[in-house]
Amino acid sequence: MQRGTSIRAVALASAGMFLVAACGGGGGTTSENLAPPDKQILRANPGTEPNSYDPTQQTYSYEAAVGAQAFESLLKPRADLSDVQPAAAKSYEVSSDGLSYTFHLQPNAKWSDGKPVIASDWVYGYKHLLNPALAAGYVDPFFDGTIAGAQNYGSIDVSSASAIDAFLAGLGLSAPDNNTFVIKLQHPAAYFKWVVTLWMAAPIRKDIVESAAGGSFPSNDTTKPLIWANDVKTIIGNGPFKVSEIGAHDHVTLVPNTGYWAGGQKLQQIILYFISDGNTAYSKYQTGTLDIINVPTADIDVVRGDAVLSKQAHLLPQLTTFWMSFNTTKPPFDNPKVRMAFAKSIDRIKLTKDVRHDTDQPIQSFIPKGMAGYDTSDNAQSYDPAAAKKLLSDAGVSASTLNAFKLLTRNSTGSKTINQFLVDQWNTNLGLNIQLDVIDSKTVTSRIRKGQFDIYGPDGWGADYPDQQDWFDIFTSGSCHSLNWGCATLPGYDDLVKKANTELDQNQRNKDYLTAQKMLIDQAAVAFIYQSYEYDLIAPYVHITNSAFDYQYLPGSQSYNTAYITAH
Amino acid sequence: MAVTAGRPNRGALLPSRVSALTGSRAGSLAIFVARRILWMIPIVFFVILITFFLMHQAPGSPWDKEGGRQLSQVVVDNLNAKYGLNKPEYQQFLLYLWNAIHFDFGLSYQYSGKTVVKLIAEAWPYTATIGVLAFLLIVPVGVGLGVLAALRQNSRIDYVTMGFATFAASFPNFVIGALMVVVFSVLMAKWTERAFFLPAADFGLDDHLIMPVITLSLLPIAYTARLTRASTLDTIRQDYIRTAWAKGLSERLVVVRHILKNSLIPVVTTLGPTFAFLVTGSIVVETVFNIPGIGRAFVTAVSSRDYPMILGTTILFSVIIAVANLVVDVLYVFIDPRVRLT
Repeated sequence: MQRGTSIRAVALASAGMFLVAACGGGGGTTSENLAPPDKQILRANPGTEPNSYDPTQQTYSYEAAVGAQAFESLLKPRADLSDVQPAAAKSYEVSSDGLSYTFHLQPNAKWSDGKPVIASDWVYGYKHLLNPALAAGYVDPFFDGTIAGAQNYGSIDVSSASAIDAFLAGLGLSAPDNNTFVIKLQHPAAYFKWVVTLWMAAPIRKDIVESAAGGSFPSNDTTKPLIWANDVKTIIGNGPFKVSEIGAHDHVTLVPNTGYWAGGQKLQQIILYFISDGNTAYSKYQTGTLDIINVPTADIDVVRGDAVLSKQAHLLPQLTTFWMSFNTTKPPFDNPKVRMAFAKSIDRIKLTKDVRHDTDQPIQSFIPKGMAGYDTSDNAQSYDPAAAKKLLSDAGVSASTLNAFKLLTRNSTGSKTINQFLVDQWNTNLGLNIQLDVIDSKTVTSRIRKGQFDIYGPDGWGADYPDQQDWFDIFTSGSCHSLNWGCATLPGYDDLVKKANTELDQNQRNKDYLTAQKMLIDQAAVAFIYQSYEYDLIAPYVHITNSAFDYQYLPGSQSYNTAYITAH
Repeated sequence: MAVTAGRPNRGALLPSRVSALTGSRAGSLAIFVARRILWMIPIVFFVILITFFLMHQAPGSPWDKEGGRQLSQVVVDNLNAKYGLNKPEYQQFLLYLWNAIHFDFGLSYQYSGKTVVKLIAEAWPYTATIGVLAFLLIVPVGVGLGVLAALRQNSRIDYVTMGFATFAASFPNFVIGALMVVVFSVLMAKWTERAFFLPAADFGLDDHLIMPVITLSLLPIAYTARLTRASTLDTIRQDYIRTAWAKGLSERLVVVRHILKNSLIPVVTTLGPTFAFLVTGSIVVETVFNIPGIGRAFVTAVSSRDYPMILGTTILFSVIIAVANLVVDVLYVFIDPRVRLT
C-alpha cells in the first residue's frame, strides 16, 4: 500500500474505477510476492447474515456479498462502469426492434458440483425468481416494463398452481439449445442489458431444488422450492466461488469453484463475517483477524491520526446519493419555492465536514459521481441563505405556518445527527423553529409509505446498476408512496423518463435524463444533500481492485476472482 | 415466577412454605412437580396470547425495511399471502396455537425457508454455553466472596471484596465488555505484536469464552456476594450460632453446617432467576463479542417484526424461567427441612 492512495482514489473516482492496493514491492510483477495458497485467505465483514442463500430471494447488499460470488449473472459491469461485459454469457445480441435478447452462454461453464451449466438452468432460475408465490423481494426490474408476459406478475392468484403455471409458461424465456438463452421483452428497453447484471437473476438447478424438496412440488408451494438453499451441500452455484461452510449467524466461508469457466481464482478462502457492531469489527481488524472493515464513524478521526492505520485507510466513493423529501401533497410544500428555500438553506460543505467527518461529499444534483449521467452544472440548489429567505417571502409563507411542521427522523445515530444539523440550518437561515420527530425506524417506514410526514430524510438511493433508468424511475408519479415518498409530480417528467427508458439511442437517452435531472433540481422535488463515501481499512497485504459499484463495506467485492494476498 | 401450586406469587425472596402434609415426602414432591409442569400450559398460553396481539400492535410490518429500497406493494401482497398475513388476526392466532400444539412454530419471515425451531436450535447452544459457564463462575465466586466478607466483617478483606462488588455492580456490562476488548484484545495484540491476545469476536470452545463469560458474570457475582454477605451476617448473630460456638465446634463445622445452610436460602432463591437471565442471553454481551446467540436473535426478530421468531423465543424464555423457578422451589426441600410442598 502506498502513501496517498486515498487522495488518488478521490481524484480517479471520476473515471469510475481505480486501483486500491498497489502491490508492496516494486509494482508490475507480483508472482514473487504472492502468499502461499494456505495464506490466500480474505476476511471481510458484510455485517449481517444473508436472509437466504437462494440468490433469487436476496435483496440486500450483504446478501449479494455471498450470492454474487456463488452465482454469476449473464453479464457484469465493466470496471469503469461505462458498459456491460461478458460474464456467464460470452456474448449477446439484441434484435433490431430491441425486443429480443439472445445470450450465448460460456461453453465451459460448470456448476460447483462439476455439471455443465445449460440454458434450461437459466430458464428455470428466471422462472424461480418470477414465481409470484415465492415473492422474491427484488423482482420488480424483471416484470416492470421488461420481460414479456411478466407485466401480469401482480395480478396472479398465488394460491392457484394452475394460474402460476400459466403465468410462468407465458413468460418470454426460452432455451433453443443448451448454449443459448433467449429473453423477449414487452417493449424496447435499452437498459435491459443492465438488468441481467443483477445477481439475483441467476441460473438455478431444477434437479437440486427438487431433490432437496423430496420430489417435485406444485408451483404454488411456498416452502419446498427454497429448502435447497439451507444446506451447504445443496447450495450449488455457477459463480467463481462456492459456499463451503456456514457458521450460522457468525460467518460464511467460500472456496473456489474449480469448474468456473474463467478459472484463475487465487484466493483459496473468503471468510465473510456477520459482525453487526462496527466497534467489534474495528477491534478484530486491529488484532489482525479481519482484513477489510468499514471504520465506525466515531473512530474516523482516530484512524486519521494514527500513523499506521491512516496508511491502510481508503475513502471510497459509492454510487449513492442522499436527499431530503418534502410532502408535496401538503401545502405549503406543494409550492416549489418553499421547497427550494429549504434546499438553498443547507450548508452542505459544513454538513459533510462537521457531521460526516469529511467522508461523504456534498452534492446538489441527483446522479452520483462515477456513473453515466453525473452532471453538476445545475446549481439551483446551492447554499444561499439570502436567496432562500427571499423565496420564502415571495411564496408568502409565514414562519408560524412552517413551525408547525416536523422533520421525521429515524432513530439511528446517523439520521439523528444529520437531521439535528439540518433543522439547525433551517431554523437559523430561515428564522424558523422546526422540531425533529425521532421514532423507531420501522414506524418511520410505515409512516412514509402512507404519506404521514411533513419532511423526511435523509433518504437515499444506491445504484442497482449504473444506468440512469434505475434512478429516474424513483421520482415518477407512479412511484408515489413507494420510493417517491414526497409524491413529487413534475409536469412532463413521467413522459420524458418513459421516453428515455425505451429510447435505443444512448446519446438521446443521456440528453433526456439530463433534462429530467434539471427538472428535479430546479423544482426542488427533493433537496439533494450528499453522495456517500465509505471510509474503509484494508490490510496492506490484500490486493484488490476497487470499484464504486462494490457492495457496501466490501471494497473489491466485484473483483474477488482476481484478488490475492501478498506475502506478509 | 415463584408460584406455589395454585397460589399466587409470594415474592422472590420467600421460599414456598406450605404446612406439612401427611404422606411420603418423595411422593408429595412428585405431585408438586407434576402440578407445576401442568401449570406451565396456561402460562405459556397467556404468554402467546399477550405477545401475539402486542406484536401485531407494533407499528410497521415485517416487510418494511429500515431505510433504502422498499419492497413494492405487489411483492408485499404476495408475501402476506405466502405467510398467511392476509387473514384476520384472530384466525392467524388460532392457526398459530393449533400449530404450536403440534410443536410447529412456523417459518421465520426474516430468514426465508428456515423454521423457527431450527433458528433457535442454531442460536441457543451458544447462549446456553456461555450462560452455564457464567453460572458456574458466579456461584462459587459470589458465595465465596460474600461469606469471606461476612466472616471477616470490617476487615480489609471485607472492604476490598465489597469495593469490588460495588464497582462491578455500578459499571454497565457494555462498558466492561468494551474495556476488556480494548485492553485484552487490541492493546495486548499491539504490545505482544499479535503473539498473544484474546479474540474480540467469534465463538469457540476456547479462549473465545473468557471475555464474554467474565463480562456476563461480573454483575451477578457482585449481587450474589452482597446478598450472601448480608444474609450471612444476619445468620451469624442468631442464638443457635452462639450455641454452636459455645459447644466448642470448630470454625469449619460452624460455618459449613450451621451458618451456610441457613444463610444460603435467600441466595438460592435469587439463583433461579439469575440462571434464567444467563441462559436467555444478553443482547449487550452477544453484540459486543459478536456471539450468534439467542439474545441477539430475539432483538433482531423484534426489530424486523419477525412474528414467528418473536413468539418462538418468547415461549422458550417463559419455559426457561418457569423451569428455573421450579428447580429453586424443589431445592428448598433439600436445603431447608422445614419446607413442605403441596
